[in-house]
Amino acid sequence: MSRASRAVVLLVSGLLAVACSSTDDGPDAFPEVGDWAQVLADAEGATLDLHMWGGSSEINRFVDEVYGPRLAELDITLRRVPVADTADAVNAVLGELEAGRTRDGAIDLLWINGENHATMRQADALHTGWSESLPNAELVDWDDPAVALDAGLPVDGAESPWGSAQFQLVYDASRTERAEIPTSYAELATWIRDNPGRFTYPAPPAFHGSRFLTQWLYELSGGAETWTDGFDAQAYEASSATLFDLLEELRPHLWRAGATYPNDIAALDRLFANGEVDLTFTQLPAGIGAGVEAGTLPDSARPFVFDTGTIRDHHYLAIPVNAGEPAAAMVLANLVLAPELQTVKLDPTNGWGDGLAIDVARLTAEERAVIDEVTDGLGELAVPPARLAAVRLPDAPPELTDTLDRDWQRFIRDGRPRP
Amino acid sequence: MRTWAALSPALLLVAVLFGGAVVLAVGRSLGVQGVGAGDGPSLHAYRELVRDPGFVRSLGLTLYVAVVSTTLSVVLGIAAALLLRRLGAGRRFATTVFQLNLPVPHVIGAVAILALVGQSGLLSRLAAQTGLLDQPAAFPAITFDPWAIGVLLQYLWKEVPFVGIVALAILSASGDELEEAARTLGASAWQRLRHVTLPLLLPGVLGAAVIVFAFTFGTFEVPLLLGPSSPTVLPVLAHRRYTDIDLAARPEAMAISAVITVVVVLVVLVGSAATRRSIRADAP
Amino acid sequence: MSALHRAPGTEVADAADAGARGRGRGPRWVVLAVTAMLAVLLLPFVPLVLASFAEAYFYPQVLPDDWSTRAWRVVLDPDGATWAALRDTVLIAGSVALISLLVALPAGRVLGTRRFRGKRIVELTLLTPVLVPAIAVAIGLHVALLRLGLAGGMPGVILVHLVPATPYVVLLTAGVFANAELELEQQARSLGASWWQAQRHVTWRLLAPGLAVAGLFGFLVSWGQYVLTLVVGGGRVVTLPILLFATASGGDTAITAATALFHALPALVLLVVTARVLGSGAMTTLGGAR
Repeated sequence: MSRASRAVVLLVSGLLAVACSSTDDGPDAFPEVGDWAQVLADAEGATLDLHMWGGSSEINRFVDEVYGPRLAELDITLRRVPVADTADAVNAVLGELEAGRTRDGAIDLLWINGENHATMRQADALHTGWSESLPNAELVDWDDPAVALDAGLPVDGAESPWGSAQFQLVYDASRTERAEIPTSYAELATWIRDNPGRFTYPAPPAFHGSRFLTQWLYELSGGAETWTDGFDAQAYEASSATLFDLLEELRPHLWRAGATYPNDIAALDRLFANGEVDLTFTQLPAGIGAGVEAGTLPDSARPFVFDTGTIRDHHYLAIPVNAGEPAAAMVLANLVLAPELQTVKLDPTNGWGDGLAIDVARLTAEERAVIDEVTDGLGELAVPPARLAAVRLPDAPPELTDTLDRDWQRFIRDGRPRP
Repeated sequence: MRTWAALSPALLLVAVLFGGAVVLAVGRSLGVQGVGAGDGPSLHAYRELVRDPGFVRSLGLTLYVAVVSTTLSVVLGIAAALLLRRLGAGRRFATTVFQLNLPVPHVIGAVAILALVGQSGLLSRLAAQTGLLDQPAAFPAITFDPWAIGVLLQYLWKEVPFVGIVALAILSASGDELEEAARTLGASAWQRLRHVTLPLLLPGVLGAAVIVFAFTFGTFEVPLLLGPSSPTVLPVLAHRRYTDIDLAARPEAMAISAVITVVVVLVVLVGSAATRRSIRADAP
Repeated sequence: MSALHRAPGTEVADAADAGARGRGRGPRWVVLAVTAMLAVLLLPFVPLVLASFAEAYFYPQVLPDDWSTRAWRVVLDPDGATWAALRDTVLIAGSVALISLLVALPAGRVLGTRRFRGKRIVELTLLTPVLVPAIAVAIGLHVALLRLGLAGGMPGVILVHLVPATPYVVLLTAGVFANAELELEQQARSLGASWWQAQRHVTWRLLAPGLAVAGLFGFLVSWGQYVLTLVVGGGRVVTLPILLFATASGGDTAITAATALFHALPALVLLVVTARVLGSGAMTTLGGAR
């Protein structure tokens, strides 16, 4: 007994002592990307903590089963850490840095884009200047603004692309006629009025909800071009006022009369699959085959895009400044760009259906042929690639998304009076 | 002296970990350390909170949820205990089944309640199959609803058995003699309940009620999974502010968690005083 | 609060048996009412079980059109996340139970067997962390644990789980000591038993069942923790509740349901086993298992 109590006293006084100190010993040495053999050597024996949104069991399994064994061959153990929301992981890194933990942080590699990227860059929380020097980076078209700019913010070698996505809507062909589906936000507004209670969207800052509203703002502000030079406060004020007026007016026609919103896309998918609402969203360029296969969407579900366009963007892998295993993180960021693995990821029958991050023009004829085979076989569970390409819009500047998210939460969700 | 030596490990653990948490949270809510530091302590975060109608509505919802679920849990829990006590053979089995929910984590309860009473949940589906209702929207909206009925149902599902088991234990320990005596003296069933059984139960059930209140006031995962987007309960609000990408919102998160702590401690003190008084009043 | 001090014992079961011997099944309406009540309490598990064995289980299906074991195969996959999460959850909950018991033994003995000035204050002090919501503790301790390098790992998570678990275990242990007839230990000594023999054959026998329940209680408090693990574990410590939340955010209802049942099962098994071994009243105070 007394020994136990002494142990606790020791533990406690130890805690107190350390609580007053800090563990700031300067960051870990960051490997030189140019010397790839050295990077591989540094990475040997590492356990790589990859933090990523863990909601999709198909994507989780894909990561474990496709990348896991490949990394094991290089003597790297992949530890995939599922997070319910990427913002949680961003917050964890910022919290670590705030507390002075500038090395050996919890996260080695992070699946990220958009506002989360902007947030981390503002806080200088990401390593920069490495991604364009990866061996497989030569397959990436870095001149494409959709790759080199993440939500309008230059990537600066802080992120390496993993895949691409484009916003699409989904309807159920067994319930809704093809001719009835809206082809623009203006038509959607009419459709919502005509079909009360049959539409809702995930509550921003949930990704799909933010994106849905951003595109609506595009349409009301004269198009995506308004925002290509960055956030324009004046334009925002004018167009967001129109948007919020419209949202207020439509609120009673939404699911549950707009009194509550689904938390995330999973919740919206559930409402859609059970026939509570008639539309849901997807981000997968190769379509919803994986969702139908997993039984989360009905097989009569069909994706479509507005004629007025939808946002295409890339998602990336990034290394926090306090990552404990940056070399292993680079190895995986490089591995995912391999043409063979990009193709496997594109094919929804492997569980994902994610868009390419590499430039098809830089591939060999055989590699291209395999990709064409996959896209030709997608059928009506995917929007044809040409159609997606024809209507694609650039991503919004992060200030726009952040401001819109915050204002939506204040004025629409919490019902505070607008100025 | 030996008394305090024996108590010290437990008290130190509580003092350092729990006390530390409270001190740090209050400190940061006053802007003493971390983001927002610089000008010394200030009540800025609290002023912001009080000015925010969202916080006030959230506080109201949280109190409403805690009070209603505590009251109903106590009433239904006592009723369940009295009912179980009247059971003859099979009481042991029934009591075991009755407490099956107790160790089940709340997250699971929330997922299960949604699958049962959501608008496309099992009950709604049964209503559709029997032709009572024709679509999900026709089923009453009792999840994500402004009255937080789904949240209350989940709490009752867990807490009625809790209060019931506590009441059952007290009744079993005290035996039937008092009631028998009251019966022979000609007391009616209602009089026996009012003047014998309930006073007997009061101290223990009050303790259980404090636990239920504290819990339903402070849970995060159940309202997150079953509650409306806005207003939401204080714990969800605190977590939203804490994980806001704007780090300046953190002092407000700390202030909210300080408010939660103060309310719970007040209820514990009041409940504890009431329990003591009821024990004293109970004493012969 | 006296409910907390009541030793987790066997009164309910004993009384149940006594009742069973005395009468028959009881009035018919009581049997019906109890059956209905138990059915309502078990009802929420029904859609979970159905969903976990279903494929494309959409409204208005009551029984699935397509039965499938896919979700269970994914959840029970030996290389999958579930077993790793189970292992970590058991490791954390086991350590929490053990440490809590170690701390609780001296404190519980004193609280259960002695009267002293300030006892009431000690009890209240111990009760508060049980009752103050985890979110407040998590947010408060997070930064300090980060500085200590304890956040984002199992030790930190175990440490914060101790906050709600230990006080409860202490109070339960106090109840165990209060109700145990420790005079028997003296009697054994006076009858010639050595100190060690008395401890082993008398005291331990008297205390073991109650202490097991107290430890189990600490285990279950940790078993169901979500917020503390989320905030302090920083996502790196994946226990079953964390896994369940991440799965639920993915929308695969079959896998969510199977994961939820997988998470509930060990707790249920523990409950039933303990109830068998110690009598069904043993769980009296387990309502706080959260």
